[in-house]
Amino acid sequence: MSKLKGAIVAAKPSVEKTIIGMLEKSMKKGVFDAVIIPMRAPSGDSFAYVLVKDKSLLKDATPLPPTMFVQGAKAVSSVTRLGKGKIKIAAVMRPCEVRATVELAKLGQANLENMTIISMDCPGVLPSSDFLKYPEKNIKLFNEAAKKLDDKMMRPLCQICDKSSMVSGDLHIGTLGAKKDTFFLISNSTKGDDAANKLGINLKDNIDSWQTKVKTFSDEKKKKRKKAHKELKAKVGGIDNLVETFSHCINCHNCMRVCPVCICRLCYFDSDKVKHSAEDYLERAESKGSIRFLPDTTLFQMGRMMHMSISCVSCGACEDACSMSIPVGQIFSMIADETQALFDYVSGKNLDEPIPLVAYKEEELLEVEDSDD
Amino acid sequence: MKRKIGVYVCECGPNIAEKVDIDKVIEAISSDKDVAVIKKFKLLCSADGKKFLEEEIKKQDLTHLVIAACSPKDHEKTFMEVSEKAGLNPYLFQLANIREQCAWITEDKDEATKKAIRLIRAAIGRVRYHSSLEKKEIDSNPDVLVIGGGIAGIEASLQLARPNRKVYLVEKAPELGGLVTNFEKNFLSMKPLSEIINGKIEEINTNENIKVFTNSEVDEAVGFFGNFEIKVKRTDAEDEPVQFDVGAVVIAIGSTLFDSKKLPEYGYGTLNNVITSLEFEKMNKSGKISLKNGKPPKSVAIIHCVGRKEKGYCSEICCMYSIKFAKYLTDKIPSVKVSNLYSDLCIPGKTNQKLYEQAKGKNVNFIRFSDAEITKSKDQLSVKYKDENGSKTNLIVDMVILAPAVEPAVDASKIAEITGIYQGDEGFFEEEHEKINPISTSTEGIYIVGCAQGPKNISETLVQSEAAAGKILSSLVPGRKIEPEVKTSEISEALCIGCKTCLSICSYGAITFDESKKISVVNEVICRGCGNCVAACPSGAASIKHFKFKQLYQEIREAIK
Amino acid sequence: MTKSLKINKSTEQGVLELLKYLLENKKVKAVFTLKKIEKKGAVAYSLIADVKDLQDAVPFYPLMPVNAGNLLSRFTLKGSPDELVAAVVKPCELRGFVELIKREQGSLENLLIISSTCGGVYPTKFGVDGTVEKNLSKYWDAVKKGEIPDGSRPTCRSCEEFAPYVADITVDMLGKNDLDKQCMMFLNTKKAEEIAKGFKGDFSDKQMDSKKLDKAREKRGIEKKKLFDEIDKKMNGIDGLIEIFGKCISCHGCSKVCPICYCVLCEFESSDSEYGPSNFETELRKRPGLRVPPGTLYFHLGRLTHISISCVACGACDDVCPSDIPVAMVFKKVSESVQKMFDYIPGKNVDEKIPLITFKKDEFKEFEG
Repeated sequence: MSKLKGAIVAAKPSVEKTIIGMLEKSMKKGVFDAVIIPMRAPSGDSFAYVLVKDKSLLKDATPLPPTMFVQGAKAVSSVTRLGKGKIKIAAVMRPCEVRATVELAKLGQANLENMTIISMDCPGVLPSSDFLKYPEKNIKLFNEAAKKLDDKMMRPLCQICDKSSMVSGDLHIGTLGAKKDTFFLISNSTKGDDAANKLGINLKDNIDSWQTKVKTFSDEKKKKRKKAHKELKAKVGGIDNLVETFSHCINCHNCMRVCPVCICRLCYFDSDKVKHSAEDYLERAESKGSIRFLPDTTLFQMGRMMHMSISCVSCGACEDACSMSIPVGQIFSMIADETQALFDYVSGKNLDEPIPLVAYKEEELLEVEDSDD
Repeated sequence: MKRKIGVYVCECGPNIAEKVDIDKVIEAISSDKDVAVIKKFKLLCSADGKKFLEEEIKKQDLTHLVIAACSPKDHEKTFMEVSEKAGLNPYLFQLANIREQCAWITEDKDEATKKAIRLIRAAIGRVRYHSSLEKKEIDSNPDVLVIGGGIAGIEASLQLARPNRKVYLVEKAPELGGLVTNFEKNFLSMKPLSEIINGKIEEINTNENIKVFTNSEVDEAVGFFGNFEIKVKRTDAEDEPVQFDVGAVVIAIGSTLFDSKKLPEYGYGTLNNVITSLEFEKMNKSGKISLKNGKPPKSVAIIHCVGRKEKGYCSEICCMYSIKFAKYLTDKIPSVKVSNLYSDLCIPGKTNQKLYEQAKGKNVNFIRFSDAEITKSKDQLSVKYKDENGSKTNLIVDMVILAPAVEPAVDASKIAEITGIYQGDEGFFEEEHEKINPISTSTEGIYIVGCAQGPKNISETLVQSEAAAGKILSSLVPGRKIEPEVKTSEISEALCIGCKTCLSICSYGAITFDESKKISVVNEVICRGCGNCVAACPSGAASIKHFKFKQLYQEIREAIK
Repeated sequence: MTKSLKINKSTEQGVLELLKYLLENKKVKAVFTLKKIEKKGAVAYSLIADVKDLQDAVPFYPLMPVNAGNLLSRFTLKGSPDELVAAVVKPCELRGFVELIKREQGSLENLLIISSTCGGVYPTKFGVDGTVEKNLSKYWDAVKKGEIPDGSRPTCRSCEEFAPYVADITVDMLGKNDLDKQCMMFLNTKKAEEIAKGFKGDFSDKQMDSKKLDKAREKRGIEKKKLFDEIDKKMNGIDGLIEIFGKCISCHGCSKVCPICYCVLCEFESSDSEYGPSNFETELRKRPGLRVPPGTLYFHLGRLTHISISCVACGACDDVCPSDIPVAMVFKKVSESVQKMFDYIPGKNVDEKIPLITFKKDEFKEFEG
């Protein structure tokens, strides 16, 4: 684990404005040629990631918007999937978006060589459907709740997130445990060190108070998470409950398409493989009396889970996008915890750690082998 | 185009007929969709049977063929040939095994008949979706790659080049010769080695059939016997790799010595005048055996078996060369006293005992020891050890020569990865069978010779090099044709998202990544059709010819309906 | 002349009786219709082979979880059924299916299509939170009177094509004030007449009352004008479109549920629509910033270009949008203009080719030089 280095930075008039000021300064000094950062959409009712070249646009940016409209990893991937380009870009995202970006880099869907990834302690994010009801009011409510670390309004997944301060990018803004009107600028890599140096920031301060507060916070969330999982398992566990849970699913596949780590150009479950003749379907209907049409709703969900669980970052984009209000994010996140624990893997934590699917260990999973071997 | 499937049930006279009611089978299946004709025959694999099939295919104008008979292992090839002869693409055919998987596993005729019907229907279901596939044929490449320019590689190269085979000899160092260039004499005949080795190197350099790459390494070696695609790059420059094809590969990368620093009790690296055997050979070849202070040693201890316990094997050559060292010393420093300390003495072979007897003498002592420790003793070295009886003894000497265990070359893992062959537990390359196939590997066409295969002396090395050359000359004949696998994987360009999961899964190096299109591409000649990539691809962009989803799905569907 | 079949039961019961008769007497192999599934009250289309399972069928439930045009296309894409299958679908779903058939994405072979004069459906989210169940009686009251049920989809409220064109059997529904006592079905084709023979009901030559349909159409026409005016105000050039689609998250759900969007791999999801670093760098030389991922509005304009000739204004796109963008009304408005240019009503006539592949020598003279 890399040793994190940090500096205490004065945050006047606000954390947000200071971050923007730092980004402006770094663009001026040529540390970055462009920044990917959320900005409010002209319609006022949403936020979008913008690749900003002209630093004067930054004053309208919102580093920590109240909704996660598009998962940041998708934004970064769209810019660098086909190569690293010549310009140096900084991307400002939430920790789960950074983790998804790291997973995408492992899957060849993002090139991070010329990217400096900046994250911050995340208070959670509002479900987009709630946000859309009263955008203006909700921006205010979100900012207040964020300050108080009050997560009641946030996505159900945010409320049980124990990785809201995970540092897997290059730089991180640590607000937890910071004294009034300051924050910690924490570096996790040589790229981060470099950027801080060029900004004249000396990464030699003690960040213990941040690390302690982060641990306390995370431990509390872990307890909440365990409890929530127990309740959820009782509700959705077993094939009958599972089918019931997904009974409203209309197979719109929104969840799959907004998921940052679902990268297939043509999903298996949209391909020819799941298209059968009328006679095949009729046979199934006959053998069961009747079948839902199209069948295999739960198969899609479980299949998708099987394919992406190892990389799931529990962001909840899927749940936000579900047109039928199914708690798909909570279910997938719960299983992802278990899948990843099997391989001692935390998705998106470390760029050098290969995804278990393609990592071979001779001695592994002995508990599922035959005892006669 | 309308399908016309011909179904032929073999009685396998009477292996199948005595269990399966073939008439019932025919009755059940004759009205199935697309079945143009269904007949039975006594023995389809006989000359009459094959003639019958050929005529039927032509007469009935069949578009697909299903044969219900024995195991594909027995006669799939037979019937594919018949098909081809009759003008029907051999891949538009499916064999239903109603013998091993049906008639031979039950006494219940009723059940056997029912199962036969299912199996045949499954074959029909599958064959409907078969596509014609064309055989490929490529010329096998008779050239050979030899990796390693030491004595093993040199000998193999010469044996191959003499009957005019083209050899590519790749050596990491700036010059050919390897370890033996450091030896003044070889231990058996005590004759000078340099003439022999230099003569061979001279022959290599003048032989037009051998292309030598020094300061070079093999970067890539993918393929199979008769068709390996090789990339060689320089270690001292950034040039583009050189590419060429060969039909066989000889791996002769030699060995290295166990790092004696790992046993601090021997004082190597910390005490003056404690040297390794290789260092002593070099010193001896240079002409002057001396201590650090320039004076010749008056007393020398040669310690055998350094690292033997740690490595868990005997390195075979150290006792012999240690005896040779005793000879070097007594020949060149008449009054020197030599003590050979060994934990076990290994002198196999019909003539080696003689050298041992000659070496033993008034000034050469062979002492069995255990638990040695070497420390400084004024200007000399103190070798403390336990003798045969377990009593502690101290020997004061001027110089200590260590005989460390022989280890696999540093590049062994890299070469193993590049070529896809295995290393044994000790790290040496694994032979196909240690007794009956000691120089072949699990990959046909790749041979291991010399110390790369395990510690051995020069004559044994030469034997292996000649054997490898012999094997290659007899099996890799110029003009021979190879038929690469037909049922290969293909990756849809439109659907591949470039996640490279299939690349890491392919055991044959058959998938490469196209950086400009950001997609994975299958090399159809090298692909063996194992299907791992198809299983690993989450979206189904990868698929295998002749094992398409539709074909398998329909087969299963019919089988379990 | 069309024959009609009257059953002295409620409309829904009558249809279910007919379906039961068809299944029991093996006149159809299966029935495709809406059915209550599982326990949570979910309603989904189902393929029913066993007459016992018909008891949970709710053929005219005011919900369209998926446009059945998509489903019928999938059912027949890889081969039509060998025997007759009855399908109960709504008019816009049927029109969607017909448009797909014109593009070789399905077939009417061996399908017995039963549709109705449709009163509209509720947004799918009301099916999840129980609103539909609560409002069922209010819904049927409105339908009886030919009025627009409160809270139904905007596309339904403004729908003037609520009478099916291509159905074998049309069930009298909209404006029928004795829905709960009588079932009236119009047998439009020989197929329907043949299949209904032997069923116990009152066959006659009674025809559909077009007057009540005209009245209903008028009401919906007024609503359409209102909704079109509303959306027109918002669709104020590029800036207006940017406002409307500002909160689009590019999930492409609208495309996936749309019956007309049938491409296996959408152009806008293929590698053709990907940009490399040099594209971004070039763009950044022209403007100060660039929304990423790019192409948000481009996708919608592209989709409009591709499908507007066949859009049946079902409103499935609206329901699936996680950002509550009024996609359906934008598409309906633009599509109607496009379809007018070619005098084309999507889904009306199976044999009428789509304008994209029909050549008329004298056309669009107003655009010529």
